[in-house]
Amino acid sequence: MSKRILNHPTEPVSGRKYWRSLGQLGDTPEFRGWLEREFPQGAAEMKGGEVSRRNFLQLMGASMALAGLSFAGCRRPELHMVPFTRGVEWSIPGKPLFFTTARPTRRGYAPLVATTHDGRPTKMEGNPLHPVSKGTTDMHSQSSLIDLYDPERAQHFVKAGKQSDTVTFEKELDEIVKGAGDGAGLAFLLESDNSPTRERLRGEIAKKFPAAKWAVYEPLGAELAYQATAVAFGEGVTAIPVIDKADVILALDSDFLGVEGDVNTIREFSARHKVSGPDSKMNRLYVVENRYTITGGIADHRLRVPASQIGAFALALAAEIGVATKDAALGETLKTFGAPAVTFNADWIKYSAEDLVASKGASLVLVGARQPAAVQVLVAAINVALGNLGKTIVGRKLSEKPAATLSELAKDITDKKVKTLFIIGGNPVYNAPADLGWAELQKSVPTVIRLGRAEDETSHFSHWNVPLAHYLESWGDGLAADGSYLSVQPMILPLFGGWSELDLLAKVAGLAKPSGPELVQETYKQRVKPNDFIGAWAKFLHDGFVAGETATSEALAFNAAAAAEYVAAKSAFPALAENAYEVVFTGCSKVDDGRFNNNGWLQEIPDPITKIAWDNAALISPATAKKLGVKDTSLIEITVGNSKLTAAAIIAPGHADGSISIALGYGRSVVGRVGSGTGFNAYPLRTTAQPYFAVGATAKATGKTYQLALTQEHWSLEGRGGDLTREATVDEYKAHPDFAKTMGMDAHIPPNVSLYTNPPLNQPASLDPHAWGMVVDLNSCIGCSACMVACQAENNIPIVGKEQVYEGREMHWIRTDRYFASVDESDPDPEMVSQPMMCQHCEYAPCETVCPVNATVHSEDGLNVMAYNRCIGTRYCANNCPFKVRRFNFFDYNQRDVQGRAKNADDRKLFTGLYEWNLTADKGAPDTVKMSKNPNVTVRMRGVMEKCTFCVQRIQEAKIAMKVAVRDSGDIRIPANAFTTACAQACPADAITFGDINNPDSDVSKLKKSERGYRLLEYLNVSARVSYLARIRNPNMKMPGAEKIGAAMKSQHGHTKAGGKH
Amino acid sequence: MAESAVTLTTPPELERVPLVANDRKITWISDKVSNIVESPTPLWWWLAFLPCSLIAFIGLLCIGYQISNGVGVWGENKTVGWAWDITNFVFWIGIGHAGTLISAILFLTRQKWRTSINRAAEAMTIFAVICAGIFPGIHVGRVWMAWFLAPIPNANGIWPNFRSPLLWDVFAVSTYFTVSLLFWYTGLVPDLATLRDRAKSRVSKYLYGIFALGWRGSNRQWRHYEMAYLLLAGLSTPLVLSVHSVVSFDFATSIVPGWHTTIFPPYFVAGAIFGGFAMVLTILLPSRLLYPQLDDLVTRQHVDKMAKIILLTGTIVGYAYLTELFIAYYGANQYEKFTFFQARMGIDNPGWYAWAYYVMMFCNVISPQLFWIKSMRTNYIAVFIVCMFVNVGMWFERFVIIVTSLAQDFLPSSWRHYHPSWVEIWTFIGTFGIFLSLFLLFMRFLPMICMFEVKLVTPEGDPHHAPKKEGQH
Repeated sequence: MSKRILNHPTEPVSGRKYWRSLGQLGDTPEFRGWLEREFPQGAAEMKGGEVSRRNFLQLMGASMALAGLSFAGCRRPELHMVPFTRGVEWSIPGKPLFFTTARPTRRGYAPLVATTHDGRPTKMEGNPLHPVSKGTTDMHSQSSLIDLYDPERAQHFVKAGKQSDTVTFEKELDEIVKGAGDGAGLAFLLESDNSPTRERLRGEIAKKFPAAKWAVYEPLGAELAYQATAVAFGEGVTAIPVIDKADVILALDSDFLGVEGDVNTIREFSARHKVSGPDSKMNRLYVVENRYTITGGIADHRLRVPASQIGAFALALAAEIGVATKDAALGETLKTFGAPAVTFNADWIKYSAEDLVASKGASLVLVGARQPAAVQVLVAAINVALGNLGKTIVGRKLSEKPAATLSELAKDITDKKVKTLFIIGGNPVYNAPADLGWAELQKSVPTVIRLGRAEDETSHFSHWNVPLAHYLESWGDGLAADGSYLSVQPMILPLFGGWSELDLLAKVAGLAKPSGPELVQETYKQRVKPNDFIGAWAKFLHDGFVAGETATSEALAFNAAAAAEYVAAKSAFPALAENAYEVVFTGCSKVDDGRFNNNGWLQEIPDPITKIAWDNAALISPATAKKLGVKDTSLIEITVGNSKLTAAAIIAPGHADGSISIALGYGRSVVGRVGSGTGFNAYPLRTTAQPYFAVGATAKATGKTYQLALTQEHWSLEGRGGDLTREATVDEYKAHPDFAKTMGMDAHIPPNVSLYTNPPLNQPASLDPHAWGMVVDLNSCIGCSACMVACQAENNIPIVGKEQVYEGREMHWIRTDRYFASVDESDPDPEMVSQPMMCQHCEYAPCETVCPVNATVHSEDGLNVMAYNRCIGTRYCANNCPFKVRRFNFFDYNQRDVQGRAKNADDRKLFTGLYEWNLTADKGAPDTVKMSKNPNVTVRMRGVMEKCTFCVQRIQEAKIAMKVAVRDSGDIRIPANAFTTACAQACPADAITFGDINNPDSDVSKLKKSERGYRLLEYLNVSARVSYLARIRNPNMKMPGAEKIGAAMKSQHGHTKAGGKH
Repeated sequence: MAESAVTLTTPPELERVPLVANDRKITWISDKVSNIVESPTPLWWWLAFLPCSLIAFIGLLCIGYQISNGVGVWGENKTVGWAWDITNFVFWIGIGHAGTLISAILFLTRQKWRTSINRAAEAMTIFAVICAGIFPGIHVGRVWMAWFLAPIPNANGIWPNFRSPLLWDVFAVSTYFTVSLLFWYTGLVPDLATLRDRAKSRVSKYLYGIFALGWRGSNRQWRHYEMAYLLLAGLSTPLVLSVHSVVSFDFATSIVPGWHTTIFPPYFVAGAIFGGFAMVLTILLPSRLLYPQLDDLVTRQHVDKMAKIILLTGTIVGYAYLTELFIAYYGANQYEKFTFFQARMGIDNPGWYAWAYYVMMFCNVISPQLFWIKSMRTNYIAVFIVCMFVNVGMWFERFVIIVTSLAQDFLPSSWRHYHPSWVEIWTFIGTFGIFLSLFLLFMRFLPMICMFEVKLVTPEGDPHHAPKKEGQH
């Protein structure tokens, strides 16, 4: 046998690149070789050794295109383990390294910690040191990982449709910069980002090219909020709500816990929403919105109002508050308004206003950034009248100088003022307001240079397409939601040689393209002015932020006169016409404005409210559906002005009548295979004048239907609320603190008596000192689904694709069940409840007894464990699981293409087609996808069952570490709260608590004692290790409909009144 | 007191209707039954066999397709983990029970009428168990690892889970198949010898000879034969009750509402016999039509008796259905109640599987009530139609139990409809192809009727028989 020679690719030509922190490790060939050495058999398969690293990844990344190359798949692949010839500093094979970084979002940077295995990031967590994150994350931070590894990212420098390279690009860029004069023909279009280094480079560019145009566009940005703040409080400041200081909150079309929020708002809210006992003081949330959002779901009182009438509601509320507070400014503002065109439930306004006034200074009225600026100014006036300024609303200096809007830039282009346009990020061809006709405008610019994440709609109209480096591949900095200064450090070299935003701006500013953190270091020096730069910088990278730095709040001065004038001039809120509808464009909680459309994890996560995966839909109320004569999944045609959109309708309980909500970000025309064919593009209905909701729309049924993949077909609780999702009002809780123990079936079942006392279970400590358990607080859970993505990332859960979700085969180990409940089924105002559901780790697990091959058994520390390689896949365990948490690999989801060979959506038939999963399809995942996997978790094959393991890999890691640490002392008990599961770690509302229930110091064992605790289906005597804490609602009993709150949960088998007799 | 005296006279013994009509002689029986095998293959046989074997082939292709791609080619999902696969398994295994009941229990209880139908019924048992055995084999996700089910000592020290009803199934069904096959084959030996003796061609003489195991009909052989047959009948008798009881444990020992029911074992056994007899009649009635010479052996009397058993077992099954409903009502368990009143009966629960429940109710409980009328029991067309209803109904019974219970269980969030895929449908149709092909081969190559046993129930076969007219014994 000849000796196998592993040909490592030659060095890339693009010069030095830092792959991660501290620079010392820099550009050693060993590191660049890592990637390939991970997968040597892939490298060996390539012909010859003259394949550059980048080509290799391109080819592997596009391995779907390697159709039918060989029958190699029939044979067991040869694997070669190649050790490092020289040890790499810090790297211990099999041990992860953790680095802080931060993810840019349009609301500021999210502080994160990345877990890297052998130089590849595999999991994102919140930065536990940072007060904004405290270790928690949202679903986008979690899923940003596979954006990095997306094989369909932009991978080449493309000039006019032809592949080029970085050297040519740099040469051309230098020429453009040289010939730009004072920058009169230069324009930049960027996404919203608060990076101080970017701001500094902007200043440099402005110095060099004073006439250059700098525009920022965010389709779901806060432009209107800035306008309103400017009117009410003057330029240069922004008003920040302090949610945890508010006792009473009224949210007007503000999804501040969902698409308009972040982990910070969620934690601030849930900190005040938590109860530890009957005497806890809860905040109270009123929500006025057109569709159910997760904010509406957790609300104590909710009113359905079309989005276009929120303004009218705000006026009515202002009138009520004006009278109650005798606030002069508010009185002045409202003087010009006559009788309202729309009337609302007078009691609702009266008593909610009363409640707000009663908590003066500790109340908060929030308004969605999507509402017209006049409404937002009016709400500012209300908050001023309520004395909330400086208390629940504080000011902060804006970190960025104002930029031009997209419309202003469009005007410049029309006037032929723009010669060279840099589009950095964003996707204006797809998401610009329809009336701008952006695609044509962009075509008319002589040179368009695009730095883009992927080849998308905008790239097609650009001359140069440059791959944009992911934030995990580039140096940077940013500000968190609290204004603190964060570091962004790369975890890996740019996989496809992309440039970061800062790289490009530095080049334009005439600086050298940075080869490391020097630009950020410069900003850091200017901003922090450290005495010991080396030490301070190292600490900055280590902590991920500048510790001890607090953002100063600005005093807010309310300009009553300007506000009154503005409101009077711009407020007209007519009622909806009889047969006209309003179309509300919402941000999608998954794909946002469309930027995450090609992210499989996000596509597959069901929407927290509609439970639709892989699509968006037009949400309509049951009454509207009846009026239109449509059913769920019927296609309806919506007409706004001259634009038409055909979209699938879905009947959304709790939706306002006469209103149609549709999420943006779908129906993209140029997108990768994941995003293609998903949903309906609502952007063409959107105009500059009506960016967030369009009134005067018409809608009609088309008679056709569409196939929507729903992970939850049934939303009613079927009278089981008292058993499954228990809740009570604050008053009931005070009267009967243990109400949860006597609801549902628990109200009348006799105690479970076991005929067999299981000796090992009676002396658990004799086998293992730990007993893992979990508590889920339904009072905190808002249903945001971050836990689902965190679990997907941690546990290598495959994406199965729309067709398989449609068949009911999604693989999520944890899901959020969402129910609507009302006493009367026809009640248009049902309440909503979210319930995270994962393996309950029953002590007497029904799945274990039925498995014929002992593939699912109990561990000594109380886990219900799965032995994948023992499982033969009878599915009996799944049938016998009362919680239906077991997931079966119906196909080889990790090995075969999720979407089969069909290239376009029309060919993707919705049946288990002959071509889609069969053995002739290509086998194997792209290498970049393999890189994203957690090496500590088995990637499952087809035909086996899987389910939540309580992150057994983390448990084992902790146990091993403990055993090593204690040596022979034998005290191997892991300290309380030493680690947690992925879902609990991610949860921004702190609703999930995991730990050792045998350890009296652990959080979970304390919560297990809560009187609100109950276990699901106790009567089955499965003795679940997961328990739930009943939800507490805090209604204002004067409010209309208050008596209905929680009534639906008192099922026919529960108590009619808490504590009453059955 | 003369007027109050009772005359104690024995009523005259009613003459038994002879089991073999028209007073056929022993040689006639041998001739007619052997003739079926010995005469050239009739055209209709080919017309029946070719399509059946084609369907069987399609079914096998579907199985191959499913194994090579994954269980996902079926319509099952995260909620409904079993559907047509286990429905078909229970359906086929149930059908087998009639054969065993006829051959074992009716043998032990000396029901002589069984003799002319037991051979065919036993053959059906074996073919049905073959069809049944396919499904648990292929429904698993990793067929190539199914040997984990066998208690083979191994280095890992991992045994199968003896608490799992699915493992009990493996033992029950494999035992059942083995015993049934032995029983059937033992019963065949004397008749194979007859065929051997009558065979004209060397090949058939040789083959029948091999399988006749050197049967010479000596007294000693008969003695051993009788003992072996009796023992096997004794072994098979508990199997009639145990196999389907064990199959019912798959459901009864689980915690799924609608499955977790103590009534299942007797209810399943009654249902199995009910469905099995319907299938026996479904096969026998057309065979009788094709071989009119058998009219004297399989008489209206047989059909009448089997119809009575169908009526009895069908009524037991109906009683079980009603008991389930009563317990669901009386048990005050909202999940159990929901399963029966909403999921099955469809009260206030449109769009799910109530239609299947009513199909089952009509076919299994209502339609056999026709058999209270004697003329219906002996009317072949009526019997055939009712039997077809019962076949359909018994399939639906299993479908209702499996799918409706799973589709809507504890957490409404997981409720999910199930739709069969074409692969599942064709796999099921394919098993009919396999079953019928095997049965046609059986008709063609083996004596359909147990000749020597039928001879025993003729007057001639009675050692005390005195010929009516001529001479002495």
